[in-house]
Amino acid sequence: MLFRLLRLILVFMLVVSAQPSFDAMAQAIGQGSAQLIADQQKVVQDLTAKTDGLEKKVTDDAEDDAALVDIRLQLEDMSRAALNSALAFRSRLTDINNRIEVLGPPPAQGQPPEPAIVTNERSALAAEKAEINAVIAGAQNLSIRINGLIDKIGIMRSELFRNVLTKRYELTDALSPQAFSDAHDQFTGLYKAVVSWLSFAFKFKLQAVLAAALMALGLAAVLLVGGRRLFGRIFEPDPSIEEPSYLSRLSVAFWSTLLPSAALTVFLASTVFFFNYYNVLRGDIGVFLNALLAVIAVVFCVNRLTNAALEPRLPNWRLIPVATGPARWLVRLTTAMAVVIGFNNFLAVVNDKMGSPLSLTIARSFVATIIVGVILILMALLKPFRARDGTWRPWPAWLRVTAVALGLFTIAAALLGYIGLALFVSLQVVVTGTVLVTAYIGFLSARAIGEEGGFADTSIGRWLTTNSSYDETALDQLGLVVSIAINLMIVLVFLPLILLMWGFQPGDIQAWAYKLATGVTIGSVTISFTGILSGIVVFVIGYFLTRWFQGWLDGSVMARGRVDPGVRNSIRLAVGYAGVAIAGLVGVSAAGIDLSNLALVAGALSLGIGFGLQNVVSNFVSGLILLAERPFKVGDWIVAGDTTGTVRKISVRATEIETFQRQSVILPNSNLINNAVGNWTHRNKLGRVDIKVGVAYGSDVKRVHALLLDIARSHPLVLKNPEPFVLFANFGAAALEFEIRVFLADILNGNIVQNDIRFAIFDEFNSEHIEIPSTPRAVVETKKPEAWPLDDDKMEADFADKEQAEAEAAVEKARLAKSRRKGSKPDPD
Amino acid sequence: MPCEMQQEAVWKHRYCKMWKSVVAAIAFLAVSGSAFAASAVNKDAETRTLIVTEGGGKTELALAAGETVEFCPNGCFVTLPNGDLEALTGSETVEISGGVGRIK
Repeated sequence: MLFRLLRLILVFMLVVSAQPSFDAMAQAIGQGSAQLIADQQKVVQDLTAKTDGLEKKVTDDAEDDAALVDIRLQLEDMSRAALNSALAFRSRLTDINNRIEVLGPPPAQGQPPEPAIVTNERSALAAEKAEINAVIAGAQNLSIRINGLIDKIGIMRSELFRNVLTKRYELTDALSPQAFSDAHDQFTGLYKAVVSWLSFAFKFKLQAVLAAALMALGLAAVLLVGGRRLFGRIFEPDPSIEEPSYLSRLSVAFWSTLLPSAALTVFLASTVFFFNYYNVLRGDIGVFLNALLAVIAVVFCVNRLTNAALEPRLPNWRLIPVATGPARWLVRLTTAMAVVIGFNNFLAVVNDKMGSPLSLTIARSFVATIIVGVILILMALLKPFRARDGTWRPWPAWLRVTAVALGLFTIAAALLGYIGLALFVSLQVVVTGTVLVTAYIGFLSARAIGEEGGFADTSIGRWLTTNSSYDETALDQLGLVVSIAINLMIVLVFLPLILLMWGFQPGDIQAWAYKLATGVTIGSVTISFTGILSGIVVFVIGYFLTRWFQGWLDGSVMARGRVDPGVRNSIRLAVGYAGVAIAGLVGVSAAGIDLSNLALVAGALSLGIGFGLQNVVSNFVSGLILLAERPFKVGDWIVAGDTTGTVRKISVRATEIETFQRQSVILPNSNLINNAVGNWTHRNKLGRVDIKVGVAYGSDVKRVHALLLDIARSHPLVLKNPEPFVLFANFGAAALEFEIRVFLADILNGNIVQNDIRFAIFDEFNSEHIEIPSTPRAVVETKKPEAWPLDDDKMEADFADKEQAEAEAAVEKARLAKSRRKGSKPDPD
Repeated sequence: MPCEMQQEAVWKHRYCKMWKSVVAAIAFLAVSGSAFAASAVNKDAETRTLIVTEGGGKTELALAAGETVEFCPNGCFVTLPNGDLEALTGSETVEISGGVGRIK
């Protein structure tokens, strides 16, 4: 940007200073870009020629799926190349546009004509731009054509696929004696090729073969032994454990599949590598060997997986609770299925390389699909579960029916001659089945982790328990999050995998994912998941920043600055609300929700909201006023209407007051603003306590006054200033009434002082023989009915109840006495 | 840090820690999952039209006054309102003002 501005200024200065050299400059520029234009024209021409060639190839190779995929990849590269050739003009076009802008528009009619040199340059630039545009247009047309071809290839491939599935072959040809003799020829050919290669290898390359085999074996041994040393603990099931947890069974299954498979794969791959390295492989043998080794690897992996999941020897370690006999059978059948499919694939490679007749391919596929179908039906008919009473129970009905249906379908398709369809279905059953089973085991593990205490049992959980301050509940919640994440990951990994298996293109999946992420348009509303997610993230970050700032302000700045707790609380709350509001606004705009739309809606609804939320809004505003005015703070003893208690929390809608009976009262803030609120501890805790006492007529009132004053003064908690005062209040009906008025530094001590003073008065009056009169009440005699006869059982039960209640009361008392802290004082009211 | 401040309530403390992990996970996901596309801004007071050639077809992209649109994630050709033809890689911003498109 800055650079461009500088360039603009430079050009402008040149224009001003070097008027006469315009023409020369324009020419120089023109020559520079002429080269560029010629280059890119050539590039586009080359690409066009290549496209022509590929277009021809597409029609030639219409039957070959792999070739079509290859052409498609080439075309995609070329499409990018065409775009890049157009991109090469970017800087030149920018220059030209800037220049034209500097020159300004041509003068309108009636205005004085501009110098010829300016007109010339403008037309030269326009001409150059037109030329460049022509080249870019060429690139654009080429790109459209290439993309059209790519689409065409997609259509052709899906048609090809459909053809494979729907094509019907004549089985009579394939299963005639001719096929057997073909097969015989084929095997002879293969045998000869292998034997000749072997003799060649033994005669001329024996050392190399041995060295290669030895090296590969050594590598595999290192991997296997090292893996066992390192991971033996986790992938060898321990038969002595009675009931291993699901998670440990799962991890053993996982590792005991993965590590040996990896070791074998490394062994096979290194064998091929070393054979290639020593030039031992010759002709088609390399291809055969590759295919054979791939088959071995797949069969081994499937066998390990089923063995690990079913553990025929160790019932404790079985992932799926089938009985031992069926487990053994399931392992055998699955392995057999993998062998059949793998062997069929190997033979396909052989057939392909040796150019065998179609009938042989059909016969081979026919046999393979029939076997797979039969195995499927056998597996479905197996009764794997053993009930408590010893009867055998079959698979769940849906599984059984699906498997039988698939098996019958495969066999029927093969028998009717739809070999392609049968082969496709049997392959999908094996591959998709494996993927689904793996995904299912993953789901199970996610569930096991998500269960209560499941995560704490994992190695990560144990590590966290020892190395961090997470407690059990936090770990549990973390486990829940992890299990959700695992579920999500399984869907994200296996869904595309299955889609790929079923013939979708990676590009399609990518495009879907992109569409899902950037926005799904429903009507005129666009829902964008990344937008919503980023909005949430922004809000959460803002929220925590606010919390952190609040904490820092409160804990470091204000606590050190000796700010009054009430002010501190107000500032903290205000900062919190402001921060959350700002975070919310930023989050909403980050989510891509237009706030102006929201304002429109708010305007339309404001009347309704005004009526509907009147109370809430008034409370909210009252809360703000409370924060600003601070008539009371947290911890104050207030009296609001009928409620008396300590303020616990002031929030923006309501204030929480805890009464002395420990009842929490949530008082809407508007009540506290609109009505009188008494605060015993507003500026200080000073308060007055009044104690009334009456003495009998005939007492020495002077003496009484002096005694009362003395008692009041002698109490340590009573303030000397303001002085205690004894009021001779009234000549009452039954007594001469006095009132002691004492001021306390802390009104919360009121009850203690009242108690002390009343006890003191009572003692003092007793010793001085001053009578405290009580008004006699009329005694009313009531005749109680005599309880007779008594039920002995009931009496006993009552007695037992009473005893128990007393015991409980004693326990409670002891507990209370223990729990009561030293120095705590009774509530003032 | 706020988590340490909230020691007064054990459950708050715990939740705070929980949240931290969740937030970290979400932030990671969001950062790793974000995608980019070219965007076009119309700074004029009237509707402008871009012709976008993407894949095997041309589409007209009408931009109302002041509107911003994301388009062309994987590269495309675009015809600007003044007739200029340009190629985009998919990360640029096209700014239209005075009927003239500029690529930034």
